[in-house]
Order: sequence, then structure tokens, then C-alpha cells
Amino acid sequence: MQRKKISKSDLGRWLDSVAEKYELVGPTKDEEVHLFGPVSSGAEMDLEYSNSLIPPKSLFFPQVEGLFAFHKRGKEIELEEAKPLEKDRVVVGIRNCDVRSLSLLDRVFLDDLEDSYYRERRDRTALIALACPTPPRSSCFCTTFGIDPLSPEGSDILLIDVGDLYLVDVVTERGQELVALGEGLFTTLTEAEEKELQPPPVDMPALDVGELKERLDALWEDGYWDKLSLPCLGCGICTYVCPTCHCFDISDVGSTSAGIRYRCWDSCMYGDFALMASGENARPSRRERMRNRYFHKFSTFPSRYGTGYACVGCARCLVHCPGGVEITEVIKDILGKEGVSDG
Amino acid sequence: MQDRLRETVRQILGGGGMAYFIGYAEGAEPHRVVPCFVTEESEVENLVWGPLCVQNLSKYVLRGRDLEGKVGVLVKGCDARAIVELVKQNQINREKVVVVGVPCQGQADPRKLGRVLGPDLERVSRVEDAGDEFLVTVGEESRRVAKEDVLLDKCFHCRHPLAFEYDFTLGDVVPFEIEAGEPEYAAVERLEGLPLEERRAFWQKQFGRCIRCNACREACYACYCEECIFDRKAPRWLDRPPLLPENELYHLIRAVHLAGRCIDCGECERVCPMNIPLSRLYKKVQKDVAELFDYEAGMECDSVPPLVNFELDDQGPFM
Repeated sequence: MQRKKISKSDLGRWLDSVAEKYELVGPTKDEEVHLFGPVSSGAEMDLEYSNSLIPPKSLFFPQVEGLFAFHKRGKEIELEEAKPLEKDRVVVGIRNCDVRSLSLLDRVFLDDLEDSYYRERRDRTALIALACPTPPRSSCFCTTFGIDPLSPEGSDILLIDVGDLYLVDVVTERGQELVALGEGLFTTLTEAEEKELQPPPVDMPALDVGELKERLDALWEDGYWDKLSLPCLGCGICTYVCPTCHCFDISDVGSTSAGIRYRCWDSCMYGDFALMASGENARPSRRERMRNRYFHKFSTFPSRYGTGYACVGCARCLVHCPGGVEITEVIKDILGKEGVSDG
Repeated sequence: MQDRLRETVRQILGGGGMAYFIGYAEGAEPHRVVPCFVTEESEVENLVWGPLCVQNLSKYVLRGRDLEGKVGVLVKGCDARAIVELVKQNQINREKVVVVGVPCQGQADPRKLGRVLGPDLERVSRVEDAGDEFLVTVGEESRRVAKEDVLLDKCFHCRHPLAFEYDFTLGDVVPFEIEAGEPEYAAVERLEGLPLEERRAFWQKQFGRCIRCNACREACYACYCEECIFDRKAPRWLDRPPLLPENELYHLIRAVHLAGRCIDCGECERVCPMNIPLSRLYKKVQKDVAELFDYEAGMECDSVPPLVNFELDDQGPFM
């Protein structure tokens, strides 16, 4: 890994030259909501942000995507495959919690049965991560899951804001190619700068979640889920804003002679999520749905994929839940203790 | 007030026969207040009351209607309108609900508070009512924020700061003075005044942003259909993808279905993660119902909602 620097005033110029070759994607603000989307220049992005409402998982696994179109010609059926991307992409400003979430989603979409749509988007997208501001948002708890908001892990380039300039950690070859597009804009750090220009350490309390799975597994029949589900309204916010939630439904639109097969995010918090054609509902009440969500994050997912927990501490669900269900409180309840350690 | 609230709830629970009492508690961070379900006396201490108790808890009353015991609920004057409507629409048995009315001095809109305080919102440890302003404690520092700057829009035109329908009341409203702001329907009238194409563009932009998380529907006290048209599988009236035509139908069907029943509690807009100005849509529906039928939902116990009423001498000028 190589560390360089770029002045804030030059960042836009660099990104503009990146945009000439790639589809540039970054956080923009509309109606006070930050979302990732395509931009035509660096200036359109708002990098002075905390995080996007919808996680950048949507860039790899969009809320709705056509899988293929079908046309019936006589007795023949023609299929037309969807093209996930027109151009290679560069995503700027992704936070480390969301970078980690992609490594978790990789297990779902790339292990065993490979999902070609996800694969293409993942392979053709470079990630320029942006280290989190200090202090972080008070609700953030990524360090609980061993995530370092300043780590270059999983991205091609990491930008660290240190006032008037960004430190630029170039991690991969793809990252080097991108930096090469900004010839003359990047400089190496002097020895004095190496010492002086250091991001302040992240001060974020971390919970000790080592025993979370074991403790949770013992609570399957516990009355806790009855109580926890009382304030849940049954909307889909927590799952749609979650960077690791990945459930979807597949359906057709059109007619029997022509149409599109698409997939669309689904939410395990919806009453019809586990409703079967027979009329039987495997999770008939909010109690089962709520329990399922936490079991999936903290027990089923890690068991199935051999990874860590399927939560990255972004706190989106906690901040946006209209019923005030707070995942940090749920974790503390499961652990059966109030204390916060330094993890 | 908070002490009085806790004392009252203790008394209610002590009387027996209660499934739970629904009030407010401090969230994991003090700038968030969350719904709180109290079943035991030991939990009464969790209950709080203050200017951040924005949620209308009536939906939870509806949810608890089939429980064996009674459901108690803390209501502001505006929320009580939902209880009145739920009774009128035969959705709850008033005998099974214990309504505690709290005098409200106006509630702080978390979004507006965020605009005024910026990132300091996260460091807020306390918000207190101080007449025409709120006293906001940020870290060690105490700041005064004018109510005009942060009150929920609906509070500017509040007609019932204290519930008129209750079993227990926690006291009287202390009068306070704030600038009235713009007239109640001014924002709606501005939209009405735009040419059709501009109005359409405004709503298409807003509906185009909808992610169809259903939060507006789930938070709405009046969404109690056993099978919602949007969930129907066969025939499927509305596809799930959040595309503009579907989203438009979703919001317009809801709006029309709530005509004469929307009480302007603002929960739909509050819960919308995309900040879609849904209150403006529903304000338009209220305005139309007021003009056409001279009716306002939830304001009296004995009036009949116009769209469930049938009169032989109805002039029906629109038919």
C-alpha cells in the first residue's frame, strides 16, 4: 500500500478525469437525504456527509432489477438478457461499514451458486472509500464488529480527510490506475508529513459480542420476542436501509406473450414474507418476524457462511425505525448485561 | 408532569385488568424518544413526557384491541382525535381503552431541530418546554430555541392541546405565545395555484423517490384493513417495485382512502425515511373534505364521517 496526498481543491479535478473514463458514482443530497447515484462530475457529490440513507448495496443489488425480457414469437420464446452495466464504475465516498457489508454479501451472491448480475457489478466497480469523520456519529457502533473506520481493507483507495487535504491510501492495482488519471495532483508525503498528518484515533465504544450467538441461540422460545415486537410497526425500513439484508422476490410483469422477469427487494418484516401458496404463514406474527431478523443477523448467517455477524454497526435501522426499535439495545438485552467495554 | 404521569399510570396498573400502558421512554440516545409498553409497575419509571414525544401512539391501541386486558395510552390532544375516530369507525371498544390526556405545549420536529442544531443534535441530552421556547441541553451547554423555528407544522394550528376525550387528564395547558406562522392551508394553496404540469412534476418527483417501505401505511392509525389492496396477491393490483406508476397509485389510493378519516397527526411524514412531504398531500384531502362536507375528522365524538354517511337529500353536486 502506498500513501499519497491530494488537496481538497484538486479532488474534484481528479474525479472529473475519472468520470471521463468511468461511470462515476457518489453520495448526493436531495430533500435532506443522502443517496448514492451516478454523477457527471466530482462537484456534484457531497462528501461532507455522515452516510447514505440507502446503503451502497443497492449499487450491486438494486432494489429492483430486470433479469431478462421474454417475447413469444409463435411457438418460440426469445429471451433477452439484461445488461447490468454499460460502463466500468467508480464509487466514491463509501464508508467502511458498507465496505464490510459487501464482503458479507459476496458470500451470499458469489459462494456456491454465483449470481452473474451481482458478479458483473462487483467486478466492474472500483471502490474509493472515505474514512469516517472524527468524532463519528453518536449512534455508530461498527467497532463492535471489529470494523476500523480508517482501514483500507476491502477498498481500492481510501481517502482520509485531514483538513485541507486528503491522505490517499492506494491499496490495489486498480486503485493505482485511478490515481494515475490525476497526474500531477497527487504528491507523496514528506517524512515530517508522514508523522504529522495522522487521522485522530476513533473514539467509539464497542460492545463485547463474542458470546452473542450462543446467548441468542438460547433465546429462541424466550418471551423477550413478544415484548420486543410490540413497538414494531411492520414496515420495511430496517431491512431496506440495512447494508447486509439481501432478501428478494422474483416476479414477472407484462403479458403471457411478452414481459420482463425482475427481482425486487423483499422484507422479512412484511406479513406476507413467509406466506405460502397453501395459505400457511411460517411467521404469522411480528414476534416471529422480529426474532427471525435478529437470528439471521447473529446466528444463521454466521453459521451458514462461516463469517462474522451480519451486522456492520452502521446504525441505519436504529436511527430510522419509526417504532424506536434500537439494535444496540437488542444486542445488550441478548448479552444480558448493560455494561459497555472498550472491546 | 412526568411525575404526575407516572403516578397516574401506577394507579391505572394497580386497578388491574390492564394488558399494558403505552407511553414514551427515552431512547438509547436522549435525543430520541421511543414508544414504551409498560406492563409492570417497576417499568413505570421508564415513562417520560416532554417536547420530543412526537409519535401518535394510537396505532398501538388498534393493535392491542384483541388482547384480554385493557390497553392504556398516553395521548396529546391531536392523538386523541385518532381514538375518537377509531371508536366512530367501530375499530376499538372504548371500554377497553384507558385514555390518559396530557396537556401539550407543542412538540419539537426532530428534522427541524436537526436543521437548527446541526450535528449537535446527537449531543442533546435534554429538551424542556419553556413557554415560547425550548430549553435544549447540548453537552454542558444550555441553548434556547424558539418554538417558531422547530415546532411540528401541525402544532401551529393546534385546536386541542389537551385531549377532549379522556379517562384521566394530567392537568391544564399553560398558555404560551408564538407567531402563528402562515395560514393552515397556505402550503396546499400554493401547490393548488401551480399549473397542472408543474403540480404533476412536483408530485412525480416526490413519489419517484418513494422506496415503498410501507412505513406511512403501517404508522397510520386509519390503516386497519384486514387485507390491504397493496398486499393482495390475486389479483395483484399493485406490483412491488418502487417505480413511478406504482408509487403514484400507492400514494393516491391511500390519500383517497383516508379522505374524511385523516386527522393530520403527521405520522406518515414523520416516519418517511425519504422525507416525502406527505402531510401536504393529506392536508389537501382534509381541505377538500372540509370544503365539500364541512367535516373535520376526530373533532367530535358524535358526528358521522361523511364518506360512510348516506342522505337521501344529498345534493351530490359532483355527480
